[in-house]
Amino acid sequence: MNYSYSIEMQMDDQSRAAKGSDPKEVVIAVSPAFGKALSKTIVSVEHSEVLREIISGIEEQGGVTRVIRNFETADLAFIGHLAAKLSGSGIGIGIQSRGTTIIHQRDLDPLSNLELFPQSPLITLETYRDIGRNAALYARGENVDPVPVVNDQMARPRYQAIAAILHLKEAQEIVRGKPAVNVDYSFTISEEETV
Amino acid sequence: MKPSPTAVRRSKRFQVLEDRPVNKDGFVHEWPEQGFVAMSSPNDPSPSIEIQDGRIVELDGKLRKDFDMLDQFIADYTIDVATANEMMNTESVDIARKLVDINVSRSEVLAIVKGLTPAKIVEVLNQLNVVEMMMALQKMRARKKPSNQCHVTNVRDNPVLMAADAAEAALRGFDEQETTVGVVRYAPFNALALLVGSQTVRGGILTQDALEEATELRLAMLGLTTYAETISIYGTESVFKDGDDTPWSKSFLASAYASRGSKMRFTSGTGSEVQMAGAEGKSMLYLEIRCIMMAKGAGVQGLQNGSISCIGIPAAVPSGIRAVLAENLATTMFDLEVASGNDQTFSHSEIRRSAKMLCQMLPGTDFVFSGYSAVPNSDNMFAGSNMDSSDLDDFLIIQRDMMVDGGLRPVEESEVIEVRYQAAKTMQVLFDELGFPAITEEEIDAATYANSSDDMPKRNVMEDLKAAESVLKEGITGLDVALALANRGYHQVAERIFNMLKQRVAGDYLHTSAIIDENNIVRSAVNNENDYTGPGTGYRMSEERWEEIKNIRQAISPSEY
Amino acid sequence: MSRLTRQDYPLGQKRTDVLFTPTNKAYDDLTLEAALKGDISSKDLRISPETLIMQAEISESIERDQLGRNFRRAAELISISDERILEIYSALRPNRSSYDELLTIADELKREYQAFENAKLVEEAAEVYSRRNILRIDEE
Repeated sequence: MNYSYSIEMQMDDQSRAAKGSDPKEVVIAVSPAFGKALSKTIVSVEHSEVLREIISGIEEQGGVTRVIRNFETADLAFIGHLAAKLSGSGIGIGIQSRGTTIIHQRDLDPLSNLELFPQSPLITLETYRDIGRNAALYARGENVDPVPVVNDQMARPRYQAIAAILHLKEAQEIVRGKPAVNVDYSFTISEEETV
Repeated sequence: MKPSPTAVRRSKRFQVLEDRPVNKDGFVHEWPEQGFVAMSSPNDPSPSIEIQDGRIVELDGKLRKDFDMLDQFIADYTIDVATANEMMNTESVDIARKLVDINVSRSEVLAIVKGLTPAKIVEVLNQLNVVEMMMALQKMRARKKPSNQCHVTNVRDNPVLMAADAAEAALRGFDEQETTVGVVRYAPFNALALLVGSQTVRGGILTQDALEEATELRLAMLGLTTYAETISIYGTESVFKDGDDTPWSKSFLASAYASRGSKMRFTSGTGSEVQMAGAEGKSMLYLEIRCIMMAKGAGVQGLQNGSISCIGIPAAVPSGIRAVLAENLATTMFDLEVASGNDQTFSHSEIRRSAKMLCQMLPGTDFVFSGYSAVPNSDNMFAGSNMDSSDLDDFLIIQRDMMVDGGLRPVEESEVIEVRYQAAKTMQVLFDELGFPAITEEEIDAATYANSSDDMPKRNVMEDLKAAESVLKEGITGLDVALALANRGYHQVAERIFNMLKQRVAGDYLHTSAIIDENNIVRSAVNNENDYTGPGTGYRMSEERWEEIKNIRQAISPSEY
Repeated sequence: MSRLTRQDYPLGQKRTDVLFTPTNKAYDDLTLEAALKGDISSKDLRISPETLIMQAEISESIERDQLGRNFRRAAELISISDERILEIYSALRPNRSSYDELLTIADELKREYQAFENAKLVEEAAEVYSRRNILRIDEE
């Protein structure tokens, strides 16, 4: 007997995101279209599953998650840096709709980072969990072993043009001058028995 | 949409074709509204210029009050107002013909280009087919002698392996070596590994560590790197800002590097604005011409372009690879050094990637690759190059087939093993002297014979990172490295590192297209300027060089039978 | 001294007689042996403003005007510390500085370092950033 799961995600944009004060807090900033105009990564993984794994990773290390949505830019470095700046711990995660992810720290230059996962087609759900876990560890001020970077030199020829198209669609959701908001999220897991 | 195999009977030939590597590549139709178009978009402006009181008040149909940052910078710093009216009145096709005409000198073309606007340059380039572009590139390249650059990286940022790979790359003939990191905090170690590894084999090799702008500058200031190239610029204002810079901040950065005696070039390329969703509907080439002209105005000596990390985008549209050649050519038309790409995977097809590479290799550029992966692509932290270490023999044989100098030389296996060992050993001594985590004999042995990071024992990453961070914190300099090695009797490599630091005092290698030869003499477009004016002129291989290229290890001597 | 041309290039080979470090050591005295004796430190292994001006003259003699101008700006930056250079660079990045902050930097460049060309660049940046809305936006 097999079970198949499907995860439904509810994301509701709330009021303007302020700077947090909880030192255990890790802020995840999602891009303008994440879970809204776009719902899947470049390799068709549901955004709900991605977010759930990152959050699980953070929480299993005792971290506290807050999700915010950034409207002003589709650029990963700035999304990640914004997350870090608003995070109580100074550690933030940025994620784009196509799946590209960054771990950032408040005091770093925006184009620098703690860890960067630039090749979206290669990031597995397990990696997303590890990203969440490491972010929580950074927040605790620990020495962190970086998540191994997966490298596939042939991802570009296959996916770069498609990634650009996804990014163009992401950019169409940008709202200049609109501050980031907190996002209420909930997951509903439905389980089906299959034979 | 794929036809269902049960519904439609398939052609066996099409099934064979579908399995070919080229069909794993991504191709898209043009989408001009979003700038998904290579050389010409309906939204590209028409060439125009208006000058009042020695100042450009209209550029390509836009009035000064509407200039964005790039328009203003190009108008004020790049275009020669004294000649612009005259040059803009020359027919584009006539300028294109001068580019190809062997009877028109390089300097004559440079004088014309100084007075042109971005839209005019695009119009000129659109007149040329790829063979004409290659002929023009052969003439317009700034340095007479072509050269080559490589990437030396590995997925674990293993410093022992990196030094060994840098040594091998030096032996194989690369004049510049570039590294980057998997984990940013490893950066100082990677810079050290390249410096030590390359100088183990010969003095004069230039090394760099591609990082975020401010960190890259810090390493150059310490003298752990000798040049920089990851100084990215973009063709629209919005993307320039997303790249966290402006033409003014980048110009200041250019001067900052020169003030520390460090060579540098900017980086740009077609497709980056589309990738960052900010092309404003302009063609990739038009935006790249704005980048090249911005670089010229800033006063940097050169530019790395040829789409670079965005190559998958022009490569996906019609005439895209032609546009990439056009941007390399345009760089040389502004008397700038060109490090001409070929540094990123863009195709699964061996035929397609060779065809593209020949566009730069046959005419020759200042650096045909920027760079060639001297390690397996699985270890290439720039996400893979157009050719890697497993293609080295192919490249050497193409040099020999075509009698073309692509900058590399055949090497013996025994020599490679020897220099790899020397480099790894030198790193062991240096780490010991500086109090860094020990490098074991086992690691030296592995690095000596390794192909990739899979062949290396794992290091304690956390301990390494602590030591790497101390390089920046304590400000360990190139001189400290030279002294540490000299103290342990490694005099030759110490001397070579010292000489690289001394080059900073003279500043000769800050000039256009500079490389440093094995005798520590700078060869640039000042003392080795390209003087091509047709057959019998320009760069011609010396007898010795041809002998070297001819003698590949695979060739059988008739006397053996 | 007359302006240098490409005939003098490379200076490190042909004109070591005119090459000095900012600490006034002669180019030919820069040797590893001297460094091992402690006679040479990292501070000596730097380019001097005079050398960069000579390199600018060589560029200008072969019509590389912008490159020459860059070398002249660079000559002005030599006496500024690494840290301050990085700070000024950072201040010039988009949305980092107010108009007045940029003018204060320009003023500092002129008064403390006689870096007039760089000051001009920063003043110009203040104008362009203001016109194109890339000065710092202060968050409440």
